Amino acid sequence: MTVVPRQGSRERRVVALRSVFLQSVWNYETLQGVGFAWAVLPGLRRLHPDPAKLAQRLLAHLELFNSNPYLSTIAMGVVLRLEHEVARGVAGAERRVARLVGVLRGTLGALGDELIWAGWRPALGAAAATAALLGGGVWTAGAYWLFYNALTQAIRLRGVTAGFASGAGIARVLQDPFWRRTAAAARLGGAAVGGAALALGVVLGHSGGGWREAGIFLGSVALLGLAARPLGSGGRRLSPALAFLALVILLSALTQARAGTAP
Amino acid sequence: MGLQEWLLLAALGALVFLDAWPVGQTMLSRPIVVGPLAGAVLGTPAEGVFWGAVFEAVYLGVLPVGAARYPDAGLAALVGTVVASHGGGEETAAYLVGVALAAGLLGDWTSGFQRRWNGRAAAAVRSRVAAGDLGAPGRAIAVAVVRGALIGAAAAVGSATVALAGLELVEGTVWAGPTSRSVLRLAALAAMVVTAGRLFLERRSDRLAWTAGLVVAGGLASWASAGMGS
Repeated sequence: MTVVPRQGSRERRVVALRSVFLQSVWNYETLQGVGFAWAVLPGLRRLHPDPAKLAQRLLAHLELFNSNPYLSTIAMGVVLRLEHEVARGVAGAERRVARLVGVLRGTLGALGDELIWAGWRPALGAAAATAALLGGGVWTAGAYWLFYNALTQAIRLRGVTAGFASGAGIARVLQDPFWRRTAAAARLGGAAVGGAALALGVVLGHSGGGWREAGIFLGSVALLGLAARPLGSGGRRLSPALAFLALVILLSALTQARAGTAP
Repeated sequence: MGLQEWLLLAALGALVFLDAWPVGQTMLSRPIVVGPLAGAVLGTPAEGVFWGAVFEAVYLGVLPVGAARYPDAGLAALVGTVVASHGGGEETAAYLVGVALAAGLLGDWTSGFQRRWNGRAAAAVRSRVAAGDLGAPGRAIAVAVVRGALIGAAAAVGSATVALAGLELVEGTVWAGPTSRSVLRLAALAAMVVTAGRLFLERRSDRLAWTAGLVVAGGLASWASAGMGS
């Protein structure tokens, strides 16, 4: 019978809390390596009482690591589970740990990019910014912050447990429909907010200054859209921030020309 | 600004720098949050909400994937709100946006500086752990956090000082680039529409959601606007 190693809930919490500092020593050589090693150190200490062995395993985890900061706790849980095999002296266990961490690095990074960076964060940001531009108060910032962290910090806290419980079978967790459905829901929400912002811009413009201001809004969308397209085949896009600055300068010139103050 | 406001601004700068990537990433460093926080520090929360939303729209599509370098959106929003809180606002719109974007680039540079310094620290950590010093990673993290806080505070105070000095020079001139708040609101909404289109319109279901948002929000806004007009 296979004995499933045990990990205390206190240790899980400590590792999850330490993951907050995953990127504190982010650098161009080992990326998140130092933060990752420090986060799993409490587990390594318990498993490897011999200081020389502990230093050797800590050094192994100081190597290159880079992943999504919230989902990386899953990799931490997996590592702590597999370190039990290393502690028991199972043949090839150290190589297995290194190989699995290498696979998880890319997989969790890609999952986090789709779910958080290109989904949850911009969708919430678009909704909160639209509400604030329409006159919403400070609550928009509070709601944004709470909703954002409700998902990301929950993943961070539960990741260690999920990774530890699954060990080498972590693929099952990563194939859970939750990830795909949440990313799709965030994308749908972001698209709906984009459509709503388009409609609101036209209506606000029209009610504020007639069809001329509605036209200014649609012209702004067209200009920023053109700026976001690559210049030439395979060329670079104009930075959205620079394009926005150019738009504000143009709008200011129009405002001043209208007021008759242009030089 | 008084000493207390400068100190609070420095603390906010430290928080923004650390939250952006070195510690936690709870998104306190996003413009939509930084704007109101900076506004609260300076006694103008409403200005902070507006400019935070503007810069959130501008930087919505900047994604921190992999080892990418990107401008510091939080520092940009902080500096923009400082300028707006000192009478800048829509009367100096182009100047405000320009100086805030420059602060964002400064934030990118300071992040690169911190990451290069971290590289030396990480190499030292490996040597020390190899020599049996197991506390080295924890100490390196503590030092990096303190260094990051100091860099963030200095960047916030330094860029706000330069922005306010420049404001005195351009205020009332054609270089300030004045426009109306309603036009700025439309420009920010336009930036959001373009970024949302680029990020979220991949599949048929996305296009359906976009259309639903367009029809529902357009209908509600037209109805509300007609109600106000009658």
